[in-house]
Amino acid sequence: MQKQVPARAAILALTLVLTFIVSWELYLRHRGAVIDYDDGPELYAHVRDMVYEPSDKATVFIGSSRIKYDIDIPTWEKLYGTHAVQLAMTGSSPLHMLDDLAADTGFKGKLVVDVTEVLFFSHHGNEDPDAGISYYRKRTLAQKASFILDEPVEAHLAFLNKDNYSITGLLGRVPVKNRPGVYPFLNFPAGFGVTEFNRQNKMTPAFVADTNQQNQVKGIWGLLAQDPTPPMHGHDLDSLLLTVKQDIDKIKARGGDVIFTRTPSTGMFYMGEQKGFPRAAYWDRLLAYTGCKGFYFKDSPVTARLDCPEWSHLSPDGAVVYTTSLAGTLKQAKW
Amino acid sequence: MVFNSYTFVVFFVLMLIVHNLPISWKAKKINLLLASYIFYAAWNPPFILLLWLSTVVDFFVGRALYTQENKHKRRVLLVISLIGNLGMLCFFKYGGFLLENFVQLANLIDINYHPAKPNIILPAGISFYTFTTLCYTIDMYKRESKPVAKLLDFSLFVTFFPHLVAGPIVRPPQLVPQFETERKATMQQMLDGLLLLSLGIFMKVVCADTLLSGAADTVFGSGGRMGALDAWSGVLAFSGQIFFDFAGYSTSAIGVAMCLGFVLPQNFMYPYAAIGFSDFWRRWHITLSTWLRDYLYIPLGGNRQGTFRTYINLMITMLIGGLWHGASWTFVAWGGLHGLYLWIEKALTERRTKTADTPTGDVPEPVIATASMAPAIKIKNKGFIGALLTFLLICVTWVFFRAATFGQAWALLRSMAGKVTPAGPPLLTTIDIIKVLVVISLMLIFHWVMRKTTVLKTAAKLPWWVTGTAWAVMLILIVLSQGTGKAFIYFQF
Repeated sequence: MQKQVPARAAILALTLVLTFIVSWELYLRHRGAVIDYDDGPELYAHVRDMVYEPSDKATVFIGSSRIKYDIDIPTWEKLYGTHAVQLAMTGSSPLHMLDDLAADTGFKGKLVVDVTEVLFFSHHGNEDPDAGISYYRKRTLAQKASFILDEPVEAHLAFLNKDNYSITGLLGRVPVKNRPGVYPFLNFPAGFGVTEFNRQNKMTPAFVADTNQQNQVKGIWGLLAQDPTPPMHGHDLDSLLLTVKQDIDKIKARGGDVIFTRTPSTGMFYMGEQKGFPRAAYWDRLLAYTGCKGFYFKDSPVTARLDCPEWSHLSPDGAVVYTTSLAGTLKQAKW
Repeated sequence: MVFNSYTFVVFFVLMLIVHNLPISWKAKKINLLLASYIFYAAWNPPFILLLWLSTVVDFFVGRALYTQENKHKRRVLLVISLIGNLGMLCFFKYGGFLLENFVQLANLIDINYHPAKPNIILPAGISFYTFTTLCYTIDMYKRESKPVAKLLDFSLFVTFFPHLVAGPIVRPPQLVPQFETERKATMQQMLDGLLLLSLGIFMKVVCADTLLSGAADTVFGSGGRMGALDAWSGVLAFSGQIFFDFAGYSTSAIGVAMCLGFVLPQNFMYPYAAIGFSDFWRRWHITLSTWLRDYLYIPLGGNRQGTFRTYINLMITMLIGGLWHGASWTFVAWGGLHGLYLWIEKALTERRTKTADTPTGDVPEPVIATASMAPAIKIKNKGFIGALLTFLLICVTWVFFRAATFGQAWALLRSMAGKVTPAGPPLLTTIDIIKVLVVISLMLIFHWVMRKTTVLKTAAKLPWWVTGTAWAVMLILIVLSQGTGKAFIYFQF
């Protein structure tokens, strides 16, 4: 009988692990997997560091997922001439981000706030921004070092994709029926939202070409649309607008500037948004109350024609068109 | 720096290289000490000062306590050490809690006092290293062991990075002698250490963070009113999460130390295989329970002053043990509930037998000898059902440990009993519930099967290819979890 852990057990373990990693990576690459960075607090914190560049050097973007898809960062940087600091968070409200930037006296730059009405005019959707902000404030030296070490690993391995190929992602996709009323795992196709190191999201060419996958995402929007929460109105809305204005005033008082955008949505999604959040009662009022300029996609003939494959986000080609139009308009307005 | 991070991987590899260089033992110890400070400073560099203060004060006070013959001066020195260590702990950990309670008390008697909320950052691991240094000075006062001769060895004893932030809580005789002669891991120790490190990270990353934390967070983050299935799933998930998280850290720490040639004490012995609550405390956080036994329960009088005082001492020890975990009355309630369980068990045992001081044969002798806070009990009706019942009752205590308020804890307990109507919409997905049931069932089976042995003994007994395959599966699941860098729950204690 052996009395100790044998060395050959360790060699076997190492061999099996390396074999698995290589096989799994090759298999996923064969199935079309691409490098997709984890869009967690670590990457957010890395980008958040860049907001202190002067206003002629950087433009900060906050909002929900739309602006992460719709601003093509290389196009922006080429045409507008400033770094695009992408701080928007998927499925989230930008209001706590706005609070955070307004409270940060070091931030004196230009800020683009994208408005997805159902998330902007709401008290919900603050969990991820809060987690990102808290992580940024409390980030330790060890966490910074881990991020630096992690980046080259993530840059070369497609299986390192938390949403799709982690145990949680894989188990979440197992088709097991839930009890009625349970908030389900949102099974987005893997090609719907690839995150790049600059936090831009892109649909893969396979997703753009596949209407089945697009319909799968539309199905998820339909599911989320069943949320019975009524649109914000009355005192809640007044109070929210006041907070937004106070934050913007703080940024402007330091020499910064803020503009709102309304990025494209189409089909049933856009119809639902218009019904729940009529433009005059929400968008127009927001601009009037805060005294900020705005860029509403329907106001430009170029961006009004853009199509969202799954009703809510632009394809990479659409993002180039949108960004070109936005950058041109803002340059023309000398913003 | 946490074990489950890329930073630690690089740090550890560098440590192994330097530790195996042909340099003097003193140089290696200095390297270990500097590395331990870097390990700690990677969280919050200024708190290194507290660690230095605690180390230097206790080194010199400890030596003076041992050599000083004047009783009054010895007492003064002990008080200095206690005030230094406990004062620091009280300020950083309990300052806000004490102020909050004082304000509530003042308001209760119509004194309108509303001070600003203090913004105190809790230094990582302060509860652990305070207990480590405290036991040294108390031992010196009682002259139970000799003072550490060199400041370097004492500093390394306090700061040695594997145990620094979340234990095991080591005693000077367990670690200091290991610094006196050169230590270098043999190939066998290296393999054993790496296996334990892999197991510890597997427990933390895969079991605690990936498979159980989601259900626990959903249920405990919901306010407490839900159906019995959700409530039980969440509580079972937390019972597993807290074990895998903490035992995972201890296992990793023991493995890391072993790779460097050092031996740290065992901290967990399959606690959910415990039959009864005194058995549980001989298996759960062993180094804390023995600390509380030796430095609190026994000084209070232990079981030497009659039955009534024994019960009181037991309860005081458990209440303070609860408060050690966190500055909240819910932690005190957790400790109190354990105290109550121990009372009932003790009363039942005393009724059944008058000779209840023989150690059980289920737990290895060294563990019983060092870990028993309550008197060892001869368990007659041992068996899986007994262990299961103990586990379920311990799950109830975790409700207080994890709930943010008593209101939430009470609502959750009512939900577990199916007494909440209407229960609100169901919370957990079917996959979440399956994950919890599978992991908790496997955990209980493993604990029961392994209750008389250890991982290393079992790994050595198995055919090499079975050990190798199991090791590989753990590593693959760690890679697939993709969850590096999440802090261990016990860091906040």
